[in-house]
Amino acid sequence: MTAIGKVLRIGVFLALAAAGTQAWAGKVYKIGVDGLACPFCAYGVEKYLKAVPGVKSLHISINSGIITVTMGDGATLSRDVARQVIRKSGFTMRSFR
Amino acid sequence: MIVLKRKFSTLVWAVALAPGNVAWAHGPVFSPGPETIWQGGTEITIAVPYSKETGAGARRDVLEPSVEVEYGLTANWSIGIELPYKFIDTNGPDAGGIGDVVFDTKYQFWKQDLPGASYKAAAFARLKLPTASDTGVPRLGSGSTDLAGGIVAGYESRRWYWFTSGAYRLNSKGGGGLEKGDRQFLNAVGGVRPVLSEYGEPDSVFMLELNWERSDKDKLIGLSLANTGGWELFLSPVFWWTYRQIAVKGGVQLPILQNLNGNQPDTGYRGKVEIVYHF
Repeated sequence: MTAIGKVLRIGVFLALAAAGTQAWAGKVYKIGVDGLACPFCAYGVEKYLKAVPGVKSLHISINSGIITVTMGDGATLSRDVARQVIRKSGFTMRSFR
Repeated sequence: MIVLKRKFSTLVWAVALAPGNVAWAHGPVFSPGPETIWQGGTEITIAVPYSKETGAGARRDVLEPSVEVEYGLTANWSIGIELPYKFIDTNGPDAGGIGDVVFDTKYQFWKQDLPGASYKAAAFARLKLPTASDTGVPRLGSGSTDLAGGIVAGYESRRWYWFTSGAYRLNSKGGGGLEKGDRQFLNAVGGVRPVLSEYGEPDSVFMLELNWERSDKDKLIGLSLANTGGWELFLSPVFWWTYRQIAVKGGVQLPILQNLNGNQPDTGYRGKVEIVYHF
């Protein structure tokens, strides 16, 4: 095998690995929440969202009012579940995407 | 001397059942806020209020640590219980023992959420049971079952806060035929968050409360007691410090105007520190 062939093989392998990683990465949702004014109140949202099956991690930005939810492999989060979780936490869902 | 002790007791009970003790972490320290904990959430508070009264030839220091538990039935309705233990130190005899147990509830009947802010209004009620001893000297409790209720509204944003509330406490007849005067409370609060901290970072809020309290005259076997009742106005700088689900709150209540009937001891100051945990 020539050196060029080896480089091509390695390149193809890396490209496939990257594509595979993309395919297996969990879905990411951004939930806009109204009423988020203080970090202390937001703990309820974290607690509720982490209890939703399939939620892998989340990031709460108080200043932007956006909660970023990353799901585990193959898991999804429906708009209705998100709305219910936010309402039970004491806030109002503004957007979901 | 007996009348004097009754007057002191009135002030002590005022602290014990002040609507500000409707504890929800995300509110002022000496007056209520409209917040309720999330549905299914639990809040545990260890509160240590202290008050000092002097004048009319007497002195009384009261320390009443308590454990308070609140539970969110829904996102806008919570119930709770407060279990206090009271120490009274005077220039005469001292006393210590279980205080009056209080049940409370709060219902947030209106809310308008905005990006980074919200307007809220709530109604609350407190029921004090006569669990403290009312036979010793000084008396630890009133021996009466008392009910307090009120309304609070407020605005919270990333930077600014304001709250306003009013409450009424209906006192019933206690031990020895003594009926304490009903009490009224009005509060106005403003606050600011100097640094707009993010979730997961320590957060601080500073507030200034204006607390007005008025008491009707006490009655003994149907007769009004001259040296009871009147009103006081307090200025109260307070703070919150929070980190995730932990909060530390505290403040000092300083009397700036007083108009008490007859010859009564003045409230020197009141202080309070609370540690709050959510889960």
